[in-house]
Amino acid sequence: MLHLRNLRVTIDDHEIINIDDLALQPGARLGLVGESGSGKTMTAKAIAGLLPNEANVSGEVNFDGRNLLALGDRDLAKVRGKRIGFVFQDPARSLNPMMRIGKQVSEAIRIHTDLKGQAVTDKVVDLLRQVQLPEPETLLRRYPHQLSGGQQQRVMIAAAIAADPELLIADEPTTALDVTVQEEILRLLITLSEQRKMSLLFVSHDLGVVRFVCNQVAVIYGGNIIEAGGIDNIINHPKHRYTAALLAANPGMPKDDNFSAFIGRRLQTITGSVPPVGRFPSGCRFRNRCQHASDKCVATPPVTASSTDHRYLCWHPAQGGKS
Amino acid sequence: MTTSTTPLVSVEQMFFHYPRAKITAGGSGWTLHDISLSIYLKSTVGIVGESGSGKSTLIRVMCGLLRHQQGAVRFNGKDISEYQDDGANELRRQNQIVFQNPRRSLDPRMTIRRSLTEPTRALQDHTPSDEELVDSIKRVGLGPEVLSRFPHQLSGGQLQRVGIARSLSVNPTILYADEPVSALDVSVQAQVLNLLMDLRDQMGLTLVMVSHDLGVVSRMCEHIIVMRHGRIVEAGRTSDVLSRPASDYTATLLNAARAASLERS
Amino acid sequence: MSETSATAVLDDARPPKPSLGKRLRKLPLTLYLGGTLVSLFVLVAMVSFVWTPYPANKLNLTNRLASPGTPGFLFGTDRAGRDVVTELMLGARNSLYVSVVSTIVAMFLGALIGLSIAGSRRTLQGPFTRLVDAGLALPGILTALVLAAKLGPGNTTATLAIITWQVPVAARVTIGPARQILALDYVEAAYGYGRTKAYVLRRHVLPNISPLLIVLGSVMFAAAILIEAALAFLSVGVQPPTSSWGRFLNETQSLLEAAPYLMFFPGVAIVLTALGFNLLGDGLRTVLDPQQARTGVA
Repeated sequence: MLHLRNLRVTIDDHEIINIDDLALQPGARLGLVGESGSGKTMTAKAIAGLLPNEANVSGEVNFDGRNLLALGDRDLAKVRGKRIGFVFQDPARSLNPMMRIGKQVSEAIRIHTDLKGQAVTDKVVDLLRQVQLPEPETLLRRYPHQLSGGQQQRVMIAAAIAADPELLIADEPTTALDVTVQEEILRLLITLSEQRKMSLLFVSHDLGVVRFVCNQVAVIYGGNIIEAGGIDNIINHPKHRYTAALLAANPGMPKDDNFSAFIGRRLQTITGSVPPVGRFPSGCRFRNRCQHASDKCVATPPVTASSTDHRYLCWHPAQGGKS
Repeated sequence: MTTSTTPLVSVEQMFFHYPRAKITAGGSGWTLHDISLSIYLKSTVGIVGESGSGKSTLIRVMCGLLRHQQGAVRFNGKDISEYQDDGANELRRQNQIVFQNPRRSLDPRMTIRRSLTEPTRALQDHTPSDEELVDSIKRVGLGPEVLSRFPHQLSGGQLQRVGIARSLSVNPTILYADEPVSALDVSVQAQVLNLLMDLRDQMGLTLVMVSHDLGVVSRMCEHIIVMRHGRIVEAGRTSDVLSRPASDYTATLLNAARAASLERS
Repeated sequence: MSETSATAVLDDARPPKPSLGKRLRKLPLTLYLGGTLVSLFVLVAMVSFVWTPYPANKLNLTNRLASPGTPGFLFGTDRAGRDVVTELMLGARNSLYVSVVSTIVAMFLGALIGLSIAGSRRTLQGPFTRLVDAGLALPGILTALVLAAKLGPGNTTATLAIITWQVPVAARVTIGPARQILALDYVEAAYGYGRTKAYVLRRHVLPNISPLLIVLGSVMFAAAILIEAALAFLSVGVQPPTSSWGRFLNETQSLLEAAPYLMFFPGVAIVLTALGFNLLGDGLRTVLDPQQARTGVA
């Protein structure tokens, strides 16, 4: 239902994103995982048509058969909000502090549906209830600063799903939230996705969170998707060296409460740091940080499919299971 | 002098509120409520809690940056208010903080070299030699080239290392770290955490780390203090507290953290 | 790999620097325009010290109110036969002197007050800021008139009046950003190793608000030019025989029938100079802003 093909984004002659093929099925939840400088947010923006003016885009972002990149502003505006909803990282910044909650959510309804008057208010109350906010009738008269971070994010989600979109794009929606609130919001997203058969594109740097929410994952490094497939497959049997390294560097939580074995154990690190835009090596983008790189890696690795649900781009993939 | 049984830092029934807070008869308004704890030399303690728990405020009171209104805070057996004049500098020298956001904790208009020399100049009245600076910077895994650069020319991970080097430049006894890796990417986080562990072992540091991330704390800290709404909910050895939490709140935190974390062996 | 690879990547951490030509072209237009106008003004003023077409105040009673283009008098002459070009140049000199002195003093005092207020106790900050606001509310012309009444008209009075007028402006503008910086971690860190508040204000806050002060300075310059002209126009500023654009402008008022074009010369000079400073300030703000974002002041 969402299919990225040959998507290339360049700014000032530097290639920011180069994605050959990335697909999201209806109702599926795909995590797009990468660190800063990986291009994950840019990808979400490219899909939304929110790239900065200096960006040059080519390729296809096929949504339900139509290439979003080829649409004019008016047509794109019809898709955005109505068929694709967005939730961003910091709700405090995405909500207008001078506008009451009810008004902000109703805006989305007014723009994308034909409802008027009381019907709109009823829908707002219904939406606030769906995102599990207590006493929605009272809440709609409140201002954002009167709500907690978690509640604000729920409001954002309500506004995003107001017009019943088929796809919800969430960019680090829980990064700024406490861990208990995070769990609730993540569960909410899963529930909404399942109930409404809504696809979810979840952009995050956190593999643990992605494992919880998504059934598929695509790992992005240097603007390329270097590994993609089913979430359990990738986490238990990572093939690309970067994916494996990312998993190894994650502090995680010990299995079976075995905390005493955990303490003091050094984490596995990835040498060096993510190069800035325009400074990635040719061929395999990760090769100058990879322990297993060889001369072969100067050429871009081909796509290898280790199963129907697992593909990666690596000349020297990792063998074996969970680290 | 701290023996192995006298705590390095001890806090007794400490209450703290911010300057303009109003304390009601019912006792609300305090940011920190009836805090009692002990930190022993060379231990590593993690303080966990969610936003509003008071964990960041707590370490600032413990190291003397903020002054508490009630109760006692003792360093090396002596009440911290008794450290005056030269003693005050000595107290500060022995208690150093590493902040969360490296871009905010270094003056953007000072070179790295200048920022690194600040603590020594302020607390020990002399400027470190170039050799000492190079050693300092190498110890945190950076090369001497960074000395002449400005903060905006370095990455987040590099800046955090500089922040650590700066605090360690005066050879403190205890290092407080306020969410030292929260603002960093996972791979960089791993580097900085390893660095902290190495430095702690090399220098015999006592490390008190504030974090909202239970995974990080379970890696680094043998002791843990769980805070909520300005109070200590639970404290003890990490392995005990986390495998058999006595409080429901700790259990909730643990479950939430588990849900969104990778299981590692 | 040793961790020095962390710095090996450092050189790559900065994107390749665009060529000098490209960078110069990216500078905002306002910077060029403003810069040109201001440089012109300063140049004319400086040149006036060594050369003017005619000696100062040389009266040409035979050639009064000559129209522009009369041989020897490019812009014509005024009521007393003084060459307009000479008058403009000398007026520029006066404006420059008054505006430089008053702006520098006002900025120094204003920043000092602003920083002190930002660094003072929370409970005191409110009342002190209100005092500054009161100073802002005081009508500048009124103050100037009172000063003139007490001290007599002249450049000194004009300078003092401008200073009194501008100090609250400078103070008000520095309080906000200074407070923002005082809330940052690196200030907390400085306290953590025993630095005093005075040190922090001097060594951490001041350098970090300097882009702001530069921009403020250029705008204050523009204001000073205008105020000086206004005061001279009201006969409160500099007195004859010293030349001033404002006084020149005043004189042209009564000549509206005889030589209506004459007022344009001092008028346009004032407008262009003030505009130049404003544009320069605008351009500087644009140029310094991205750095500001990188160097800490929000």
